[in-house]
Amino acid sequence: MGKILCSTRGGEASIRTQEEAIRRAKETSDELIFFYVTDVEFLAFANYALHSDLVVSEMDRMAEFLMTMAVERAEKAGVAATYLIRHGDFVEELRRTIEEEGITLVILGQPSEEEGAFRLAELRALAQRIHKETGVAVWIPGLDEDAEDKPPTEHEDQEPL
Amino acid sequence: MSSLRLLSSLRRFLPWLALALIAGLWAAAQIRPPQAAQAAAVRAIAGRVVDEQGEPVEHVEVRLYINDEREPVAHAISQGDGSYVLILPDDDVTSLRIEFTRAHFYPVTWTASLRELNDVLDHGGLVLEDTVLKRRLTAGFWAATLIFVGMLVIIATERLHNTLAALLAVAVLFGVSFVGGAIEPSLFVFTFEQALRHVDFEVIFLLLGMMIVIGVIEETGIFQWLAYQAYRLSKGKVWLLVIILMGFTAIATALLDNVTTMLLISPITIEIALAMGINPLSLLMPALLASNVGGLSTLIGTPVNIMIGSYEGLSFNDFLFNLTPGVLLAEAGLMVFLLLWYRKEYRKASTRISPTLLKRLEENGRIRDPLKLRRAGMVFVGLLGLFIFGAQLHLTPAISAIIGAVAMLLWVHQDIKQMMGVVDWTTLIFFLALFMVIGAVQEVGLISLIAEAVGRVVGNSLTVALLIVIWTSAFFSGVIDNIPFAAAMLPVVAFLTRNIPGAQNNVLYYGLAVGADMGGNGTLIASSANLVVAGIAERAGYPVTFKKFLKVGAPATLITVAIGCVWLFLHF
Repeated sequence: MGKILCSTRGGEASIRTQEEAIRRAKETSDELIFFYVTDVEFLAFANYALHSDLVVSEMDRMAEFLMTMAVERAEKAGVAATYLIRHGDFVEELRRTIEEEGITLVILGQPSEEEGAFRLAELRALAQRIHKETGVAVWIPGLDEDAEDKPPTEHEDQEPL
Repeated sequence: MSSLRLLSSLRRFLPWLALALIAGLWAAAQIRPPQAAQAAAVRAIAGRVVDEQGEPVEHVEVRLYINDEREPVAHAISQGDGSYVLILPDDDVTSLRIEFTRAHFYPVTWTASLRELNDVLDHGGLVLEDTVLKRRLTAGFWAATLIFVGMLVIIATERLHNTLAALLAVAVLFGVSFVGGAIEPSLFVFTFEQALRHVDFEVIFLLLGMMIVIGVIEETGIFQWLAYQAYRLSKGKVWLLVIILMGFTAIATALLDNVTTMLLISPITIEIALAMGINPLSLLMPALLASNVGGLSTLIGTPVNIMIGSYEGLSFNDFLFNLTPGVLLAEAGLMVFLLLWYRKEYRKASTRISPTLLKRLEENGRIRDPLKLRRAGMVFVGLLGLFIFGAQLHLTPAISAIIGAVAMLLWVHQDIKQMMGVVDWTTLIFFLALFMVIGAVQEVGLISLIAEAVGRVVGNSLTVALLIVIWTSAFFSGVIDNIPFAAAMLPVVAFLTRNIPGAQNNVLYYGLAVGADMGGNGTLIASSANLVVAGIAERAGYPVTFKKFLKVGAPATLITVAIGCVWLFLHF
């Protein structure tokens, strides 16, 4: 049995990703873990009295809420899921989690329309980098469908995004 | 027996009493007669130095020469109101000459006519007519102007952090003034002492005090609790939730700070929206826009208000009486607009929330430290009392804030090192450097030129002046940081206030506050709170682009500024 790591936030684009991850986990009976990385880079814009640890804990609470929603969504579909919340650099934390948890498939959320083509290109590059460095297949639901009708798996050894 | 004892005691003290009496009489004799003698003997010349707009010129070197001598016999520096007094020596005087010199002005020499000389000699004094100094556009003027504009461009384009941009400007100014000035004297801008005189320490200390006060309060969880209470009180009615949320963010911002308020309520607001099945931006944006407007209502609500209050000596109550009703009207207008704007989204709201999510909301919206909240609340109420009634005790807002901050540190949170870490020193240094840069362009005369140009456009019309101040401030606050803009505008507004009939009620200062503060809603980059909220929303999967913000922010700004404008016209 494999392990699916679904990196997600909470927006409408993320919900589509979560649903695809849930569907995939149900099909393969793989374990599903939702993944969120808290970062507070936006504090650079806040020029006033701030406990940064306080902000981090508020962001963690929000992340827990978002992940609880994702887990509830999975449970409704009959899939048991858990979540992981990490702090710091997204790529670094993703790589570390893949190794620590023995992940077999990473699912990344497609950026929303507002985030534009630049963000999409960034995401493709990121997917390739993760695959190259960890050897784990990376799937971006919504993007993969054009090229392949189904997500890549470790057994198929297909070129990831 | 007892009277004998009394007499004997008196006898013992008699020499001391006599000595004290003699000393007192001697002291009185020493004080009074010389005053009279001095009044008769002193010969003085007094006057005032003004610029071409009739504004007093401070720090003018005034030197008095007699009998065609090369060395001055008296010297004075003009005061804040441009006044000076020169004391003539007792020598025989056959001619009198006064030289007025100041950097960035043409020197002026006044020579006494025979009649004026006789006036001084016969009557002991002479009051001269105002001496007008003409501005001189030196190389220093162009250098300071270029540096000032460069700083604004760097800040607007975010090439460097605001504080770094302002510090760079100060460093270049001093380099030009000291190194350049040594090579080419016309490059001189100002001395270090002159630069320091432009720093408004009232603003620095008020910000410092409030940062500590807010730093303690934010630990208590009050912001998150209030957001959750807004949800509970609304009982699933989104329109009511929006009204309560907007009301409380406006009040919190008026009394504390909008960045902190939004930073702490945004995560739980997103949770509430998601739990209700609506787009979080439909709750976040109303709270954010209300907070940017709410800060306008008090002296401590925004850094711009703090600067205006300190510059013109406006009290906490001045802001409260003159702006708060206008802010309430603007908030009401904003509420109506936003309820209509997001009406489709609000219709999607669901009242059925899963028990797991509801439990999480309850947890996230609880008070973290009730004891700390009680104490911090008491200190804060005391601080508000000081702000409101302190003026009667000559307590400036900065002193009140420092008293409040120290009380917080002593009674609520004694970890001074941690609290010093909470103070945003980069912002304080930004203000320090900014005041120096603005001081530089004031010294070289750029602000006077702008003031004169604006003065020519508005003429004597207070209506035109108010409209220009409000809408220009609103526009520029939407595209550049409103703090440097307001800092540069203050001397211009001061000039207009002195020269336009009817403007002496300080309406133009309130107009500057209305435009600069409400303009913060215009674009995504117009306020720090906007960027912080956008950052949090993006982490929740709801990115806020410049265009998306503009769509709701621009009409919201137009509505609130228009209401603020109408309020000022009605009130003044």
